[in-house]
Amino acid sequence: MTPPVWRGVLLVLLASAAAGPLALLVVTSVAGRWLYPSLLPEHLTLESWALLLGRGRLASAAATSLAAAAGTSALAVMLGLPLGRALARLGGWRRWIGAAAAFLPVAAPPIALATGLQLSLLSLGLGGTVPGVILAHAVPALGYVTLFFLGVFHVLDPRIEDEARSLGASRIQTWVRVLGPLLRRPIAEALALGFLVSWAQVPLTLLVGGGIVRTLPVEVLGFVRAGQDRYAATGALLLVIPATLAIGLAGSARRAEAPPL
Amino acid sequence: MSPRRIPIAALLAALPTLVGVGYAAGAATGLIGFGAAGFSLRRVASVLGELTVWRGVAWTLTTAAAATLLATAGAVLVATVFRGTARGDRAARALAVLPLVVPHLVAAAVFVFLFGQSGFLARAIHAAGVADAQGVVPTLVYDPLGIGFILALAWKELPFLSLLAFSVLSTRGPELEETARSLGADRRDVFRRVTWPILWRGLLPGVVAVFAFVAGSYEAAILLAPSEPVALPLLTWERYTDPDLARRADAFVLVLVGIGLAAIAVAVHEWARARWERFEG
Repeated sequence: MTPPVWRGVLLVLLASAAAGPLALLVVTSVAGRWLYPSLLPEHLTLESWALLLGRGRLASAAATSLAAAAGTSALAVMLGLPLGRALARLGGWRRWIGAAAAFLPVAAPPIALATGLQLSLLSLGLGGTVPGVILAHAVPALGYVTLFFLGVFHVLDPRIEDEARSLGASRIQTWVRVLGPLLRRPIAEALALGFLVSWAQVPLTLLVGGGIVRTLPVEVLGFVRAGQDRYAATGALLLVIPATLAIGLAGSARRAEAPPL
Repeated sequence: MSPRRIPIAALLAALPTLVGVGYAAGAATGLIGFGAAGFSLRRVASVLGELTVWRGVAWTLTTAAAATLLATAGAVLVATVFRGTARGDRAARALAVLPLVVPHLVAAAVFVFLFGQSGFLARAIHAAGVADAQGVVPTLVYDPLGIGFILALAWKELPFLSLLAFSVLSTRGPELEETARSLGADRRDVFRRVTWPILWRGLLPGVVAVFAFVAGSYEAAILLAPSEPVALPLLTWERYTDPDLARRADAFVLVLVGIGLAAIAVAVHEWARARWERFEG
């Protein structure tokens, strides 16, 4: 057993590593004048937050991000669910190859994906458009979602499906009445996963969006580089919200399903 | 679903990447794209002959390794120290996982605010009574060693690896450890022969994935990495958007290098995962 003192030290370190950076973001997002070397801002302002409610760049960027992320997650789940199911039914080296193929766009540097995608989407006339950005984001998102469903169907007994079919259910009935209810939670989780992959994406948006599609991360990157810390911090805090919600909801869904013993 | 259609599914998942790789291969060898003039390996040879490229690759690989190592060590420490069911243990586990919600870009931005020349660290040191705080704070952002970059990404990846470590230990640990103890192993033996082997086998796929993410990260590199040496993702971007169109095809050679490194990571990842699944089976 580790001595209690070290446990205490480690706990404090963890707490400050978890809360410190987020606190710094909150303070920066409301900092008015904050010249070096003042430890704290000279005055506080809600200006950047108020702009969000209005028609500022942050507000429109957040709307663009929401649209792109919603489109990406729907597309990724529509394709990734059947793909993951098909891969889970494979055995031996075929599944190995399939999982590796799905993992490649996840592990590949986004910038490497972006170059090839930009040129193909440009030739389709989708460069600099939100649909083009959605298609680009769907590439890594599909990888994540496929791997997710591979795991889900790996655990789900295929005999459930076969049984329904042998009892006379049509293919559609099997999906609607048997698989649908079983998959409700995994689908919700996969939608969240696809959403988050798109929500945080930077290089694919920059190249495929060509600077015209300005999502929240694109604006935040611009604000940080321009030294506009208050706007950058406000945007950064907005970027943290969806994942926080997703994890909170997943946690409460799990607790509701299986009350702690 | 008929078995014949199944390999098509696997292919479909990889299709966009394969098209990208195919395009990059063609563009790097002069078959298509910018300044295409028939097949030639001259461009590949000249890009791979550049010292800048190799220094960038080396910087990317070493900083990614350092960040991954740091995050892994942290995850192992947290998972082994706070395994219990006491309130402190549960609080520690929750705190370790909390930054999971932070995207890479936000992690990088926070570290700019923290470690920049007039960042919070410099202000705090000044407040502590050091007059020349900005001189005292070693440059942690844009520094050639990439210390800010390493710390930011280690912080960002710690929650993911911690979560993985918690689940590995809680599903596979107790039973085997109990067995080892009942066979007469003392606490050190149990850790060395049971806990640690389980932990690293279970963590390895995640560790490989984290390494690949860090090595490919564009947004953290652009905010925190030095201008010399140029990290591989930044170098790829630079060449791809070079005003000199003739140089743009250079980017595709770098894309192939990046994808090649990722492919190695994928192979290692799948091998590690298959091994863990067999072990867990």
